[in-house]
Amino acid sequence: MSTQASERSLDELTLESKLNLEDLVDRGALREMVHSFYELFRIPLRIYSEDGVLLSDVAEQPAIYAYLNEFRGSREALLGLVQRVKSIDPKVDGEISQPCITGAVYQVFAIQYDGRQIGRLILGPFRSPEHREVPRSLLDLDAGLDIAKLKPLLGQLPLAGHDTVSHIARHLKGALDLILFSGHKALLTTNMHLASVRESFRELQEKNSKLQEAYNRLKELDRLKSNFLATVSHELRTPLTSIIGYSEMLAEGIAGDMNDEQKEFVTTIHDKGEQLLELIMGLLDLSKLESGTMSLNRREIEIEPLLQDVASTLQPTARKKGVNLVARDSLGLPGIWADPERLRQVLLNLTENAIKFTPEGGTVELSADGTFMDADNDDGEGGGMVLFSNKRPAVELTVTDSGIGIPDHEKARVFDAFYQVDGSSTREAGGTGLGLSIVKRLVDAHDGRIEIRDNQPHGAQFVVTLPRRRASLSG
Amino acid sequence: MQLDFAARELTVKLVYYGPALSGKTTNLQALHQASDTESSGRLMTLETKDDRTLFFDLLPLTFKGTGGLSVRLKVFTVPGQVIHASTRRLVVQGADGVAFIADSQESETQHNAESFMDLKENLKANGLLLKQMPLIIQFNKRDLKNIRSDEEIAKLAAQGREPVYLAVATRGEGVVESFIGLLHLTMSHLDAEHDLTGKFGISTQGLLEEVNQKLGMRKPVSEVLSAAVGGALDVLRPVEDEG
Repeated sequence: MSTQASERSLDELTLESKLNLEDLVDRGALREMVHSFYELFRIPLRIYSEDGVLLSDVAEQPAIYAYLNEFRGSREALLGLVQRVKSIDPKVDGEISQPCITGAVYQVFAIQYDGRQIGRLILGPFRSPEHREVPRSLLDLDAGLDIAKLKPLLGQLPLAGHDTVSHIARHLKGALDLILFSGHKALLTTNMHLASVRESFRELQEKNSKLQEAYNRLKELDRLKSNFLATVSHELRTPLTSIIGYSEMLAEGIAGDMNDEQKEFVTTIHDKGEQLLELIMGLLDLSKLESGTMSLNRREIEIEPLLQDVASTLQPTARKKGVNLVARDSLGLPGIWADPERLRQVLLNLTENAIKFTPEGGTVELSADGTFMDADNDDGEGGGMVLFSNKRPAVELTVTDSGIGIPDHEKARVFDAFYQVDGSSTREAGGTGLGLSIVKRLVDAHDGRIEIRDNQPHGAQFVVTLPRRRASLSG
Repeated sequence: MQLDFAARELTVKLVYYGPALSGKTTNLQALHQASDTESSGRLMTLETKDDRTLFFDLLPLTFKGTGGLSVRLKVFTVPGQVIHASTRRLVVQGADGVAFIADSQESETQHNAESFMDLKENLKANGLLLKQMPLIIQFNKRDLKNIRSDEEIAKLAAQGREPVYLAVATRGEGVVESFIGLLHLTMSHLDAEHDLTGKFGISTQGLLEEVNQKLGMRKPVSEVLSAAVGGALDVLRPVEDEG
């Protein structure tokens, strides 16, 4: 499953059949090195790549060549010689001498790396100490050549023994080999680095796309779930309304008298129908809240009447269970910016819940207090935070019970839909498991917060904190 | 493996694999030291400043071979640390044979096993199967205390197919033996797959003798090969040839 990119780079990296001299060395640096050798020994030298490209050349044209170029015969001979020298292949590790028409010599060496020839080094022309006379063959090249002029020019050619030249070549090749090795190493490191990065990138991309897929799938599932809930709730409600309506009519005797047993059965049908409807309405609310289609009808509302209303609505339920339900006086508190229907639903749910989990003789208390909450002034664009107050006036609505309480580790989870702290006690107390999750979402929709505190010595305290005014930026 | 007809060269890639600090680089250094200057190129190490292998080490070895085809062996190590997973996958690409260098210490048993699974995975990612890969296992660091005993290793090795070698790479002991074993398996495998003997006249035995000598071994090849404490040196055949 290897990618093509990494495959190619590994081939380059390991089994590459051909390394180029020009890829491994920096030409400028090579020129400098060659120049310093020339400074030292004054013997002209050139370096060719394997393909015959001249990579470095510090040879100046010898004065004798300039003179020879003036005559046709010697010019042609010189040209032929230069071509010959250029095309000499010394083979791996070889060394070949090429005599010059002047009687001087060129020495050609193979430059090799990793057992392969990758270039050539040409030293010369130089003359050996024994070589002092102008050769006859040179004079024969052109009748115009003057031996008296040639002799001093010949003397200007650098003087070197064959051994010395081999010695120089060996050192030059040694230095070059080190440079080649370093260059090769750098080349491999770079390639490997790139290949590694590419490989890691590919891995990450694979993982990312898998995550993205999973995320998309989950989002789609979530949407389907909400749709399903909405549709099902709606479709269930319609026939249920008929069941409730007709059972009510039966119970009221509209269709004729019933005996006590029949009446009891029909009443049960009616009660259970109502219960079912409540559950369905809850589901509908929840799915609306989740899909964000529930719109809040916010306005400035007074708190005191709201608390009193909730308390009086649930007073019969509390009395039936022998629970003492009180709404503490909250007169004087300023109003808050909320949807009165939804806020009432929040308090009803919380209070009903509290009554449900409070044993006979216990107390459920509703109260309200002014407070502050941390403002969320960030409108998503950030900036300017220092200009805003980080405290926002708020109202704390508290429902306190003296019931069984909620263990710490359950506190965050009770707001999950269908979650129940303890199945057994809930069944005893009844309920859908949806109430708190709806409450949480409604409070969120109001930019508020809900938290659970412990009521000492036992019981729980649900505290809803709502901003008193609309958020300064988000409205 | 790469065959360059024009240059008359056969290039074979061998990889030294194993957990971090098991002695892969030390093996290469010992091989480099044992070989004569003519056969061995410079040992190239791409390492971090704390001497840990960063990408790989590479030791090029060149032999004359037989049949007019010179044999170039490229011996690699992989970086052992877990984080270099992608590098290991890259280095193992195109490997012709693998030497797994295990740390003999009892405490390293788990790391050995993990690295071996990693090798298997990385071969698979490159379309190679471990069971088709010429493989030898070397238990290195035999000079340390708290190591798995010779008896235990011999007993387990006898059950497996891979030849197992014992070594102290820091002293060069067992290093050449492991290498010759790996080369033997690899060349036999390549020969069976590509008919190197029939087509190019490359003789595995001839190459082994040359390598054996160039790496300074005084014992004959057969004796060097018999240093393995288990497994088999001749059973490896490509899977498609079976049955």
